[in-house]
Amino acid sequence: MAALNISQEQFREMIQGDKPVLVDFWAPWCGYCRRIAPVYEKIAEEYGDRLTAVKLNIDEAEQVTEEEGVEVIPTLILYKNGKALDSVVNPGSKAAIDQFIREALEK
Amino acid sequence: MSEPHVYDMIVVGGGPGGYTAALYAARAGLDTLVLEKLSAGGQMALTEQIDNYPGFEEGIDGFTLAERMQTQAERFGAKTEYAQVDRMDLTAVPKVLETSEGVFYARTVAVATGANPRELGLPGEAALTGRGVAYCAACDGMRYKGKTVVVVGGGNSAAADAMLLSRVAKKVILVHRRDTLRATKIYHAPLMQAQNIEFRWNSVVAELLQDGKLTGVKLRDVNTGEETTLPCDGVFISVGRKPATDLVAGQLTLDRSGYIVADETTRTNIPGVYAVGDVRTKPLRQVVTAVADGAAAVHMAEEYLAGGE
Repeated sequence: MAALNISQEQFREMIQGDKPVLVDFWAPWCGYCRRIAPVYEKIAEEYGDRLTAVKLNIDEAEQVTEEEGVEVIPTLILYKNGKALDSVVNPGSKAAIDQFIREALEK
Repeated sequence: MSEPHVYDMIVVGGGPGGYTAALYAARAGLDTLVLEKLSAGGQMALTEQIDNYPGFEEGIDGFTLAERMQTQAERFGAKTEYAQVDRMDLTAVPKVLETSEGVFYARTVAVATGANPRELGLPGEAALTGRGVAYCAACDGMRYKGKTVVVVGGGNSAAADAMLLSRVAKKVILVHRRDTLRATKIYHAPLMQAQNIEFRWNSVVAELLQDGKLTGVKLRDVNTGEETTLPCDGVFISVGRKPATDLVAGQLTLDRSGYIVADETTRTNIPGVYAVGDVRTKPLRQVVTAVADGAAAVHMAEEYLAGGE
Protein backbone atom coordinates (compact mmCIF):
# COMPACT_ATOMS: atom_id res chain seq x y z
CA MET A 1 0.00 0.00 0.00
CA ALA A 2 1.25 3.44 -0.86
CA ALA A 3 2.17 5.80 1.98
CA LEU A 4 -0.69 8.32 2.14
CA ASN A 5 -0.40 11.95 3.14
CA ILE A 6 -2.54 12.55 6.21
CA SER A 7 -3.88 15.61 8.02
CA GLN A 8 -3.33 16.59 11.67
CA GLU A 9 -6.79 15.32 12.53
CA GLN A 10 -6.16 11.96 10.86
CA PHE A 11 -2.80 11.78 12.65
CA ARG A 12 -4.40 12.23 16.07
CA GLU A 13 -6.94 9.51 15.33
CA MET A 14 -4.65 6.99 13.62
CA ILE A 15 -1.91 6.85 16.22
CA GLN A 16 -4.39 5.73 18.89
CA GLY A 17 -4.82 2.36 17.16
CA ASP A 18 -3.43 -1.05 18.07
CA LYS A 19 -1.75 -1.43 14.69
CA PRO A 20 1.55 0.50 14.69
CA VAL A 21 1.65 3.65 12.54
CA LEU A 22 4.89 4.87 11.00
CA VAL A 23 4.85 8.63 10.33
CA ASP A 24 7.29 10.40 7.99
CA PHE A 25 7.47 14.07 9.01
CA TRP A 26 8.47 15.78 5.77
CA ALA A 27 8.12 18.96 3.71
CA PRO A 28 8.15 19.61 -0.03
CA TRP A 29 11.20 21.91 0.23
CA CYS A 30 13.31 19.29 2.05
CA GLY A 31 15.89 17.59 -0.15
CA TYR A 32 16.64 14.72 2.22
CA CYS A 33 12.90 14.04 2.45
CA ARG A 34 12.71 13.65 -1.31
CA ARG A 35 15.62 11.24 -1.24
CA ILE A 36 13.97 8.85 1.20
CA ALA A 37 10.58 8.99 -0.55
CA PRO A 38 11.11 6.07 -3.02
CA VAL A 39 12.47 3.83 -0.27
CA TYR A 40 9.66 4.91 2.08
CA GLU A 41 7.13 3.67 -0.49
CA LYS A 42 8.94 0.33 -0.52
CA ILE A 43 8.87 0.22 3.27
CA ALA A 44 5.12 0.92 3.20
CA GLU A 45 4.65 -2.13 0.95
CA GLU A 46 7.06 -4.50 2.69
CA TYR A 47 5.74 -3.82 6.18
CA GLY A 48 2.09 -3.37 5.15
CA ASP A 49 0.87 -6.32 7.25
CA ARG A 50 2.61 -5.12 10.40
CA LEU A 51 2.18 -1.34 10.28
CA THR A 52 0.60 1.53 8.39
CA ALA A 53 3.10 3.97 6.86
CA VAL A 54 1.89 7.53 6.34
CA LYS A 55 3.37 10.95 5.62
CA LEU A 56 2.72 14.23 7.41
CA ASN A 57 3.66 17.51 5.71
CA ILE A 58 4.95 19.67 8.59
CA ASP A 59 3.97 22.87 6.79
CA GLU A 60 0.36 21.74 7.05
CA ALA A 61 0.68 20.31 10.55
CA GLU A 62 2.55 22.90 12.59
CA GLN A 63 0.73 22.11 15.82
CA VAL A 64 1.35 18.36 15.72
CA THR A 65 4.95 18.91 14.63
CA GLU A 66 5.56 21.08 17.67
CA GLU A 67 3.69 18.75 20.05
CA GLU A 68 5.73 15.80 18.82
CA GLY A 69 8.99 17.73 19.22
CA VAL A 70 10.06 17.31 15.60
CA GLU A 71 12.84 19.83 14.95
CA VAL A 72 14.65 18.24 12.05
CA ILE A 73 13.21 16.57 8.96
CA PRO A 74 12.94 13.95 7.73
CA THR A 75 12.03 12.38 11.06
CA LEU A 76 10.31 8.98 11.19
CA ILE A 77 8.32 8.15 14.34
CA LEU A 78 6.62 4.82 15.04
CA TYR A 79 3.43 5.07 17.12
CA LYS A 80 1.27 2.43 18.82
CA ASN A 81 -1.71 2.89 21.16
CA GLY A 82 -1.17 6.65 21.17
CA LYS A 83 2.48 6.44 22.19
CA ALA A 84 5.68 7.11 20.26
CA LEU A 85 7.74 3.89 20.39
CA ASP A 86 10.88 5.37 18.84
CA SER A 87 12.11 7.82 16.22
CA VAL A 88 14.92 8.18 13.70
CA VAL A 89 16.19 11.40 12.13
CA ASN A 90 17.44 11.55 8.57
CA PRO A 91 18.12 7.82 8.02
CA GLY A 92 20.96 7.28 5.56
CA SER A 93 19.81 4.06 3.95
CA LYS A 94 16.90 1.65 3.57
CA ALA A 95 18.88 -0.67 5.82
CA ALA A 96 18.87 2.00 8.55
CA ILE A 97 15.07 2.33 8.29
CA ASP A 98 14.67 -1.47 8.35
CA GLN A 99 16.76 -1.68 11.51
CA PHE A 100 14.83 1.18 13.14
CA ILE A 101 11.48 -0.50 12.45
CA ARG A 102 12.65 -3.94 13.62
CA GLU A 103 13.94 -2.54 16.91
CA ALA A 104 10.98 -0.19 17.49
CA LEU A 105 8.43 -2.97 16.89
CA GLU A 106 10.06 -5.05 19.61
CA LYS A 107 9.53 -2.29 22.19
CA MET B 1 20.22 -26.47 -3.74
CA SER B 2 19.78 -24.42 -6.89
CA GLU B 3 22.68 -22.49 -8.34
CA PRO B 4 22.72 -18.84 -7.22
CA HIS B 5 21.84 -16.22 -9.81
CA VAL B 6 24.96 -14.59 -11.24
CA TYR B 7 24.58 -11.13 -12.77
CA ASP B 8 26.81 -10.08 -15.65
CA MET B 9 27.32 -6.74 -13.93
CA ILE B 10 26.52 -5.38 -10.50
CA VAL B 11 26.83 -1.64 -10.08
CA VAL B 12 27.46 -0.48 -6.53
CA GLY B 13 25.98 3.00 -6.11
CA GLY B 14 23.09 4.65 -7.97
CA GLY B 15 24.54 8.06 -8.80
CA PRO B 16 24.91 9.37 -12.36
CA GLY B 17 27.98 7.19 -13.03
CA GLY B 18 26.28 4.10 -11.65
CA TYR B 19 23.05 4.46 -13.58
CA THR B 20 24.91 5.29 -16.80
CA ALA B 21 26.90 2.08 -16.37
CA ALA B 22 23.57 0.29 -15.81
CA LEU B 23 22.07 1.91 -18.93
CA TYR B 24 24.99 0.90 -21.15
CA ALA B 25 25.18 -2.57 -19.63
CA ALA B 26 21.46 -3.24 -20.03
CA ARG B 27 21.54 -1.95 -23.60
CA ALA B 28 24.50 -4.25 -24.29
CA GLY B 29 22.31 -7.15 -23.20
CA LEU B 30 24.07 -7.68 -19.88
CA ASP B 31 22.05 -8.93 -16.92
CA THR B 32 22.50 -5.87 -14.69
CA LEU B 33 21.70 -4.96 -11.09
CA VAL B 34 22.24 -1.65 -9.28
CA LEU B 35 22.71 -1.77 -5.51
CA GLU B 36 21.76 1.57 -3.96
CA LYS B 37 21.42 2.17 -0.23
CA LEU B 38 18.99 5.10 -0.34
CA SER B 39 18.00 6.76 -3.59
CA ALA B 40 19.20 7.41 -7.10
CA GLY B 41 21.51 10.37 -7.53
CA GLY B 42 24.22 10.21 -4.90
CA GLN B 43 25.59 13.68 -4.21
CA MET B 44 23.67 14.99 -7.21
CA ALA B 45 20.35 14.14 -5.52
CA LEU B 46 20.86 17.04 -3.14
CA THR B 47 21.89 19.56 -5.78
CA GLU B 48 19.15 22.11 -6.23
CA GLN B 49 19.97 23.10 -9.78
CA ILE B 50 22.37 21.57 -12.29
CA ASP B 51 23.27 23.98 -15.08
CA ASN B 52 26.32 22.27 -16.54
CA TYR B 53 24.81 18.98 -17.68
CA PRO B 54 24.22 19.56 -21.39
CA GLY B 55 20.76 19.19 -22.86
CA PHE B 56 18.81 20.87 -20.08
CA GLU B 57 18.91 24.48 -21.23
CA GLU B 58 16.91 25.72 -18.24
CA GLY B 59 18.87 23.59 -15.79
CA ILE B 60 17.42 20.62 -13.90
CA ASP B 61 17.37 19.69 -10.24
CA GLY B 62 19.67 16.83 -9.32
CA PHE B 63 17.05 14.54 -7.87
CA THR B 64 14.86 14.71 -10.97
CA LEU B 65 17.84 14.08 -13.23
CA ALA B 66 18.79 11.08 -11.08
CA GLU B 67 15.29 9.63 -11.21
CA ARG B 68 15.26 10.01 -14.99
CA MET B 69 18.61 8.22 -15.28
CA GLN B 70 17.25 5.39 -13.14
CA THR B 71 14.03 5.12 -15.14
CA GLN B 72 16.02 5.15 -18.39
CA ALA B 73 18.33 2.34 -17.26
CA GLU B 74 15.37 0.32 -15.99
CA ARG B 75 13.54 0.78 -19.30
CA PHE B 76 16.25 -1.40 -20.86
CA GLY B 77 16.04 -4.04 -18.15
CA ALA B 78 18.47 -2.93 -15.43
CA LYS B 79 17.20 -3.71 -11.94
CA THR B 80 17.59 -1.79 -8.67
CA GLU B 81 17.85 -3.23 -5.19
CA TYR B 82 17.78 -0.78 -2.25
CA ALA B 83 20.53 -2.51 -0.36
CA GLN B 84 23.50 -1.48 1.69
CA VAL B 85 26.61 -3.43 0.71
CA ASP B 86 28.38 -4.68 3.82
CA ARG B 87 31.23 -6.72 2.31
CA MET B 88 32.56 -7.67 -1.09
CA ASP B 89 34.91 -10.37 -2.31
CA LEU B 90 36.07 -8.98 -5.64
CA THR B 91 38.57 -11.69 -6.53
CA ALA B 92 36.17 -14.61 -6.00
CA VAL B 93 34.62 -16.32 -9.03
CA PRO B 94 31.90 -15.17 -9.31
CA LYS B 95 32.38 -11.98 -7.28
CA VAL B 96 30.42 -11.91 -4.02
CA LEU B 97 28.48 -8.96 -2.58
CA GLU B 98 26.97 -9.34 0.89
CA THR B 99 24.21 -6.79 1.51
CA SER B 100 21.35 -5.85 3.83
CA GLU B 101 19.01 -7.54 1.31
CA GLY B 102 21.00 -10.76 0.92
CA VAL B 103 24.00 -12.04 -1.03
CA PHE B 104 24.43 -11.21 -4.71
CA TYR B 105 26.87 -12.64 -7.28
CA ALA B 106 28.34 -11.00 -10.36
CA ARG B 107 30.90 -11.60 -13.12
CA THR B 108 31.86 -7.91 -13.13
CA VAL B 109 31.46 -5.10 -10.61
CA ALA B 110 31.34 -1.37 -11.24
CA VAL B 111 32.24 0.48 -8.05
CA ALA B 112 30.37 3.79 -8.23
CA THR B 113 30.16 4.59 -4.54
CA GLY B 114 31.04 8.26 -4.98
CA ALA B 115 32.16 10.62 -2.28
CA ASN B 116 30.72 12.32 0.79
CA PRO B 117 31.24 15.75 2.33
CA ARG B 118 34.40 15.99 4.41
CA GLU B 119 33.85 16.83 8.06
CA LEU B 120 35.82 19.35 10.10
CA GLY B 121 36.45 16.69 12.73
CA LEU B 122 35.47 18.86 15.69
CA PRO B 123 33.96 17.55 18.93
CA GLY B 124 30.14 17.57 18.80
CA GLU B 125 30.07 17.90 15.02
CA ALA B 126 28.14 14.69 14.39
CA ALA B 127 25.61 15.32 17.18
CA LEU B 128 24.99 18.87 15.95
CA THR B 129 24.37 17.77 12.35
CA GLY B 130 20.83 18.89 11.63
CA ARG B 131 20.93 21.08 14.74
CA GLY B 132 22.92 23.92 13.27
CA VAL B 133 25.66 22.02 11.49
CA ALA B 134 24.99 21.30 7.80
CA TYR B 135 26.87 20.16 4.73
CA CYS B 136 24.46 21.09 1.97
CA ALA B 137 23.17 24.64 1.54
CA ALA B 138 20.72 23.57 -1.15
CA CYS B 139 19.13 21.08 1.24
CA ASP B 140 19.14 22.90 4.54
CA GLY B 141 19.46 26.56 3.58
CA MET B 142 15.75 27.29 3.81
CA ARG B 143 15.84 26.58 7.54
CA TYR B 144 18.03 29.64 8.06
CA LYS B 145 15.72 32.22 6.57
CA GLY B 146 16.50 35.61 8.14
CA LYS B 147 19.27 34.11 10.31
CA THR B 148 23.04 34.38 10.55
CA VAL B 149 25.10 31.56 9.07
CA VAL B 150 28.77 30.73 8.71
CA VAL B 151 30.15 28.99 5.61
CA VAL B 152 33.48 27.21 6.06
CA GLY B 153 35.66 26.71 2.98
CA GLY B 154 37.08 28.54 0.01
CA GLY B 155 36.43 26.35 -3.00
CA ASN B 156 33.68 26.36 -5.61
CA SER B 157 31.11 24.62 -3.46
CA ALA B 158 31.76 26.96 -0.51
CA ALA B 159 31.36 29.94 -2.85
CA ALA B 160 28.15 28.52 -4.34
CA ASP B 161 26.80 27.78 -0.86
CA ALA B 162 27.58 31.33 0.31
CA MET B 163 25.80 32.80 -2.73
CA LEU B 164 22.77 30.60 -2.23
CA LEU B 165 22.59 31.33 1.50
CA SER B 166 22.99 35.09 0.95
CA ARG B 167 19.61 35.04 -0.78
CA VAL B 168 17.96 33.37 2.22
CA ALA B 169 19.86 34.30 5.38
CA LYS B 170 20.19 37.72 7.00
CA LYS B 171 23.96 37.50 7.08
CA VAL B 172 26.55 35.07 5.70
CA ILE B 173 30.09 34.92 7.06
CA LEU B 174 32.58 33.04 4.91
CA VAL B 175 35.44 31.56 6.93
CA HIS B 176 38.51 30.47 4.98
CA ARG B 177 41.93 29.43 6.18
CA ARG B 178 43.74 31.33 3.41
CA ASP B 179 43.63 35.01 2.45
CA THR B 180 41.99 34.39 -0.92
CA LEU B 181 39.35 32.09 -2.39
CA ARG B 182 40.30 28.95 -4.28
CA ALA B 183 36.96 29.14 -6.10
CA THR B 184 37.02 29.94 -9.84
CA LYS B 185 36.85 33.59 -10.91
CA ILE B 186 33.18 33.44 -11.86
CA TYR B 187 32.24 33.46 -8.17
CA HIS B 188 34.49 36.28 -6.93
CA ALA B 189 32.63 39.38 -8.13
CA PRO B 190 29.12 38.33 -7.05
CA LEU B 191 30.44 37.30 -3.62
CA MET B 192 32.24 40.60 -3.10
CA GLN B 193 29.21 42.55 -4.30
CA ALA B 194 26.66 40.77 -2.12
CA GLN B 195 25.52 43.15 0.62
CA ASN B 196 25.19 40.55 3.34
CA ILE B 197 28.34 38.44 2.91
CA GLU B 198 31.32 39.07 5.17
CA PHE B 199 34.71 37.38 5.04
CA ARG B 200 36.98 36.09 7.77
CA TRP B 201 40.26 35.31 6.07
CA ASN B 202 43.12 33.25 7.54
CA SER B 203 40.68 31.73 10.00
CA VAL B 204 39.61 28.25 10.99
CA VAL B 205 36.76 27.02 13.14
CA ALA B 206 38.38 25.88 16.40
CA GLU B 207 35.23 24.98 18.30
CA LEU B 208 31.49 24.56 17.85
CA LEU B 209 29.55 26.36 20.60
CA GLN B 210 26.24 24.82 21.63
CA ASP B 211 23.44 24.52 24.12
CA GLY B 212 21.94 21.38 22.56
CA LYS B 213 21.92 23.14 19.24
CA LEU B 214 24.57 25.33 17.66
CA THR B 215 24.85 28.84 19.10
CA GLY B 216 28.09 29.98 17.49
CA VAL B 217 31.64 29.11 16.54
CA LYS B 218 35.02 29.94 17.97
CA LEU B 219 37.39 31.11 15.22
CA ARG B 220 41.16 30.96 15.37
CA ASP B 221 43.40 33.21 13.29
CA VAL B 222 45.95 30.89 11.67
CA ASN B 223 48.68 33.57 11.76
CA THR B 224 48.27 35.11 15.20
CA GLY B 225 46.53 32.25 17.02
CA GLU B 226 44.02 34.77 18.34
CA GLU B 227 40.59 33.33 19.08
CA THR B 228 37.27 35.11 18.64
CA THR B 229 33.70 34.02 19.30
CA LEU B 230 31.20 34.42 16.50
CA PRO B 231 27.52 33.86 17.39
CA CYS B 232 25.52 32.25 14.57
CA ASP B 233 22.49 30.03 13.96
CA GLY B 234 24.08 27.69 11.46
CA VAL B 235 27.43 26.59 10.08
CA PHE B 236 27.67 25.13 6.58
CA ILE B 237 30.77 23.01 6.16
CA SER B 238 32.09 22.95 2.62
CA VAL B 239 35.67 21.77 2.85
CA GLY B 240 35.76 19.15 0.14
CA ARG B 241 34.84 15.53 -0.14
CA LYS B 242 36.13 12.15 0.85
CA PRO B 243 35.70 9.08 -1.34
CA ALA B 244 33.47 6.24 -0.13
CA THR B 245 36.08 3.52 -0.42
CA ASP B 246 36.05 1.85 3.00
CA LEU B 247 34.26 -1.07 1.37
CA VAL B 248 37.05 -1.78 -1.14
CA ALA B 249 40.09 -0.84 0.96
CA GLY B 250 42.48 -3.78 1.08
CA GLN B 251 41.23 -5.13 -2.25
CA LEU B 252 41.50 -2.23 -4.67
CA THR B 253 44.53 0.03 -4.93
CA LEU B 254 43.76 3.47 -3.50
CA ASP B 255 45.71 6.70 -3.78
CA ARG B 256 46.80 8.74 -0.74
CA SER B 257 43.45 10.54 -0.55
CA GLY B 258 41.54 7.26 -0.69
CA TYR B 259 40.38 7.38 -4.31
CA ILE B 260 40.47 4.16 -6.38
CA VAL B 261 43.43 4.20 -8.73
CA ALA B 262 42.12 3.83 -12.29
CA ASP B 263 42.64 5.66 -15.57
CA GLU B 264 39.98 6.59 -18.11
CA THR B 265 39.40 2.92 -18.92
CA THR B 266 38.10 2.71 -15.30
CA ARG B 267 39.96 -0.61 -14.88
CA THR B 268 41.24 -1.27 -11.37
CA ASN B 269 43.93 -3.65 -10.17
CA ILE B 270 41.37 -6.49 -10.08
CA PRO B 271 40.18 -7.84 -13.47
CA GLY B 272 36.45 -7.31 -13.98
CA VAL B 273 36.23 -4.52 -11.40
CA TYR B 274 35.80 -0.92 -12.58
CA ALA B 275 35.90 2.42 -10.74
CA VAL B 276 33.22 4.80 -11.97
CA GLY B 277 32.65 8.47 -11.18
CA ASP B 278 33.91 10.54 -8.24
CA VAL B 279 35.41 7.50 -6.53
CA ARG B 280 38.12 7.23 -9.22
CA THR B 281 41.37 9.19 -9.43
CA LYS B 282 40.67 11.97 -11.94
CA PRO B 283 41.26 15.69 -12.44
CA LEU B 284 37.63 16.82 -12.63
CA ARG B 285 34.67 15.42 -10.66
CA GLN B 286 31.47 16.39 -12.42
CA VAL B 287 28.25 14.68 -13.51
CA VAL B 288 29.49 14.70 -17.11
CA THR B 289 32.75 12.97 -16.23
CA ALA B 290 30.93 10.43 -14.02
CA VAL B 291 28.56 9.39 -16.80
CA ALA B 292 31.50 9.04 -19.20
CA ASP B 293 33.10 6.60 -16.75
CA GLY B 294 29.90 4.57 -16.69
CA ALA B 295 30.01 4.07 -20.44
CA ALA B 296 33.74 3.27 -20.43
CA ALA B 297 33.35 0.70 -17.66
CA VAL B 298 30.75 -1.25 -19.63
CA HIS B 299 32.91 -1.17 -22.74
CA MET B 300 35.79 -2.69 -20.76
CA ALA B 301 33.47 -5.16 -19.02
CA GLU B 302 32.17 -6.43 -22.34
CA GLU B 303 35.75 -7.11 -23.46
CA TYR B 304 36.47 -8.83 -20.17
CA LEU B 305 33.34 -11.01 -20.37
CA ALA B 306 34.26 -11.96 -23.91
CA GLY B 307 37.64 -13.07 -22.59
CA GLY B 308 39.57 -10.35 -24.38
CA GLU B 309 40.86 -8.24 -21.53
